[in-house]
Amino acid sequence: MNQTLLQFLKRYDFSFLGSMAAIFLVGVLNLYSATHSQQHEGLDSLYKSQVLWFFISTCVAIGISFINPKTIERVSYIGYIVTLFLVFLVLLMGKVGMGAQRWLVIGPIRMQPSEFMKMGLVLALARFFTKVNPERQLGFKELIIPGIITLIPAVMVIVQPDLGTGMLLLFIFAMMIFYKRLRWKTIATLGIISLVSGVLMYNFGLKEYQRKRIHTFIDPYEDAKGSGYNAIQSEIAIGSGRLFGKGFKNSSQASLNYLPENHTDFVFAIFNEEHGFFGSVFLIILYLVFFMRLIWLATSVQRFFDSVLIIGIMSIFFWHTFINMAMVSGLLPIVGIPLPLMSYGGSSMLTFGVGAGLATSISNSRNFFN
Amino acid sequence: MFGEEELVKIHKERATLLSYIITAAFGLVLARLWYLQVYKGETLHNYSIQNRLRKEVVWAPRGLIYSRDDQLLVDNVPRFDAILTPQFLMDNDVTLAKLAKIMNVDILAIRAILKKNSNQAKYRPIIVKKNISFEELAQIESQNADLPGISVDTFISREYRDKEIGAHLLGYISEISQIQLPKLRERDRLDYRLGDFIGQFGIEEQLDKYLRGENGHEFVEVDARGRRKRYINTDNLFKGIEDEKPISGMNVKLTIDRDMQIAAYNALEGKVGGIIAIDIESGQVLTMVSRPSFDPSQFSRGLTPEYWRTLVNNKEHPLRDRNIQEHFSPGSTFKALTGIAAFEEGEIDENTEVNCGGSFRLGRKVYHCWKKEGHGPTTLVKAIRESCNVYFQRAANRMDIDDIAKYAKAFGMGGRTGISLPREVAGLIPTKEWKKKRYGQEWQAGETLSCAIGQSYVLSSTIQMATVYAAIANGGKIYRPYVVKDIYDTEGELVKTFTPELLSKINMKNEKTLKFVREGLYQVVNNPKGTAFYRRGQGIQMAGKTGTSQVKGASADKVYQKCENMDYESRHHGLFVGFAPYDHPKIAAAAIVEHGCHGSSAATPVVEAVITQYMKKYQPEMYLENLEKDKSVRENWVKSLKPAPVDHADE
Repeated sequence: MNQTLLQFLKRYDFSFLGSMAAIFLVGVLNLYSATHSQQHEGLDSLYKSQVLWFFISTCVAIGISFINPKTIERVSYIGYIVTLFLVFLVLLMGKVGMGAQRWLVIGPIRMQPSEFMKMGLVLALARFFTKVNPERQLGFKELIIPGIITLIPAVMVIVQPDLGTGMLLLFIFAMMIFYKRLRWKTIATLGIISLVSGVLMYNFGLKEYQRKRIHTFIDPYEDAKGSGYNAIQSEIAIGSGRLFGKGFKNSSQASLNYLPENHTDFVFAIFNEEHGFFGSVFLIILYLVFFMRLIWLATSVQRFFDSVLIIGIMSIFFWHTFINMAMVSGLLPIVGIPLPLMSYGGSSMLTFGVGAGLATSISNSRNFFN
Repeated sequence: MFGEEELVKIHKERATLLSYIITAAFGLVLARLWYLQVYKGETLHNYSIQNRLRKEVVWAPRGLIYSRDDQLLVDNVPRFDAILTPQFLMDNDVTLAKLAKIMNVDILAIRAILKKNSNQAKYRPIIVKKNISFEELAQIESQNADLPGISVDTFISREYRDKEIGAHLLGYISEISQIQLPKLRERDRLDYRLGDFIGQFGIEEQLDKYLRGENGHEFVEVDARGRRKRYINTDNLFKGIEDEKPISGMNVKLTIDRDMQIAAYNALEGKVGGIIAIDIESGQVLTMVSRPSFDPSQFSRGLTPEYWRTLVNNKEHPLRDRNIQEHFSPGSTFKALTGIAAFEEGEIDENTEVNCGGSFRLGRKVYHCWKKEGHGPTTLVKAIRESCNVYFQRAANRMDIDDIAKYAKAFGMGGRTGISLPREVAGLIPTKEWKKKRYGQEWQAGETLSCAIGQSYVLSSTIQMATVYAAIANGGKIYRPYVVKDIYDTEGELVKTFTPELLSKINMKNEKTLKFVREGLYQVVNNPKGTAFYRRGQGIQMAGKTGTSQVKGASADKVYQKCENMDYESRHHGLFVGFAPYDHPKIAAAAIVEHGCHGSSAATPVVEAVITQYMKKYQPEMYLENLEKDKSVRENWVKSLKPAPVDHADE
């Protein structure tokens, strides 16, 4: 008995759960530091619920890691439809409540279905690419059905309105078709078309007030002018950290509350202010290790479904991480995308847990199920 | 066909490419961080410690509120506060002594304020004195250099011109509390901040989204020594930042008449109660006053603890609105509906006579009429006029509670009127099914008798009773009462206008029903034997019904006890509901005076005062005409009667 348990533990792949725990540890300390002085806003105890969410997400991850990936493949379309239905439900309720609606409230539970939609989409695409001509390269014709699978949820999320998450779904799709060997010719054509039409639309197709509206549409909670202020405060926070940072709990920008939303989208700025350039190098390496390990896993599995799924999961986390870091440091406009495991938020943490659980399950299956 | 493992293998190339892309992406981020933290690090570090760009909110002026005749009811007035920022305070004793001299207060008082706030951050300003005079303002500003750390803060105060008059209707604004913050953010999808003001009651709450406007902001640079200055765009760091001017809130015109409000408030002097008056052909609320009241202006400055204490320690609950947020047994004012039900069901007609011997026996229980010796032979008109319990109980005994409920509900009782004000309470009209559900018991015939005279389970508010009597006066049309007439933007352009909403029209089976009920109501006020004859007023030709709402069920031996001899808490509420003028009805009104004992002496004068004000202002010709008619009523009375004692006639 003991022997089998030991063997089991030896074969269990702890690398994903370990990565998750490491980044979370950095994140929760940073969250505590960012919010400890904000008693009057009632934010100073947020880190406690973050710890609780991590605990829940870890349990979910461990639970999922015991599921056979073949079972996951079988239910992947159902997962897609269920998450799609939830997004639809939010849209419906949003109509009733008049105005933007991202949350679905069931009793005491508030969830953000667009968060789970990402995982649903990845599952459906992985399944589709495995079943339909898995060996063929993708051209325009082969993109039609997966395109529809992606566009339905993307449009529904965009009209919520949550353009940020909608775009994210498209980016995830892009990364997955790239992996599924989209022809270079198609990539080039698509690139040129979207670049030209985008520029034309923005410059000639839209009136000034419409352009402004697009800015506010990206995030209705943020007024367009105010977001310039956020970006600058964020840059000051990052820059003032210099090489070594001001030290733990010493962020002046955060504690003076100059930086808004410093517990959600702007945690990376606080981290930079307190730990400087070297701190960021360390954090980015943690993320990179996680992503590289996922890509390596995708190339070493025996089943193609597992491989595509892993790439999908990797895309979700990569885009979140990259867009958030780029936006906070002023490379991209401000959109409301959280930094995985660093930003405060339960739904996003849970998605991470599901992803890590699936990766672990697939990694373990190489030893267990063959 | 490929095997699964070969499939993975042919995609390996793309996986490798992906890992390069990802590494490059993070390389880009790191390059950017290097640029910010190393290349520009020194500059930005200086900014973070020396120069602080602060985004300050520029409050949007809140919309103004006008009465139906364009009189200003709610205004914004700038007030000035003397503030002290501890961080910048120097030479404590000298500075504080100077400040104390300017404001003519003791230096110890200022020290006490500082001590009270000593645990908060030093950069947060402390209000030393609110509402300083212009003279004090001028002195502080001119001696600026000698008063480090002292400054003047401008505050736009929300001021309610008539203070306590109609406070419950207008409502108040106050700061969003910590508990409200997440809920309101969710509800309005607006990024509220602590310190934002929001309508919390009455019109201010209901129309908040129109009144509040949009706050703007300006960017202020604060240097290392805390001095504020406008930013100077030197090194393009603040490029792309612009101030944003606030957008004023919209102005609102109510259906309320200011002069009637004042008349109503004065008529309620020394009383606890409320009155509401509505236009019977539109449902526009003309008057809505409740007393005791409060001064809403106090809320917009943050209540002083003293004022808050006087509000909560007052046993009469000044914050409670008596018109829509409180319900009570409608008492005898309900008899008009029992009469309508019996008439329509064919159980009585105008000639049906009931002999009132002072009581009515059902089974083993005796139901007393308020008049011990009885009313003798009584018809419908007389029964309404003299408020005979026995008549209506006999009529009700031939029917079912569900019959009465059918009519009461048709006239708008037993629910909410749907007035566009927050927190309206629902009334209650019992049915057999309701009792079964609520108490799990069968309906008792005796309960019908109590309900027929508006006691027992029946509950209503003044606004509901006013709607019922408006429908009696206008032939059965139920309008949704409303208080907002128009909404204008700051340029004076009409943004939204509210029109009467006819909720239902009751089809009376018998055209005589309303005629005789109205006749009875007319005689209540204009026949010397009517219960409200001595409060009939002049020139208004009022018709209506008095009522008392029992606070505590009276035991048999106390039925005839004089109300004034009871302790205050047990005294009945006095009610009056009516409409005017009888020939061409225009206005309906309902009043309650808590523990006022009698409808006639307590509540009728309140309604009379409001209707008189209405007639003088809006129907001057009819008013003069009616004055003539009243003369003949009075002459007939003097001729035919020996003087009767005042204040005794009652239900």
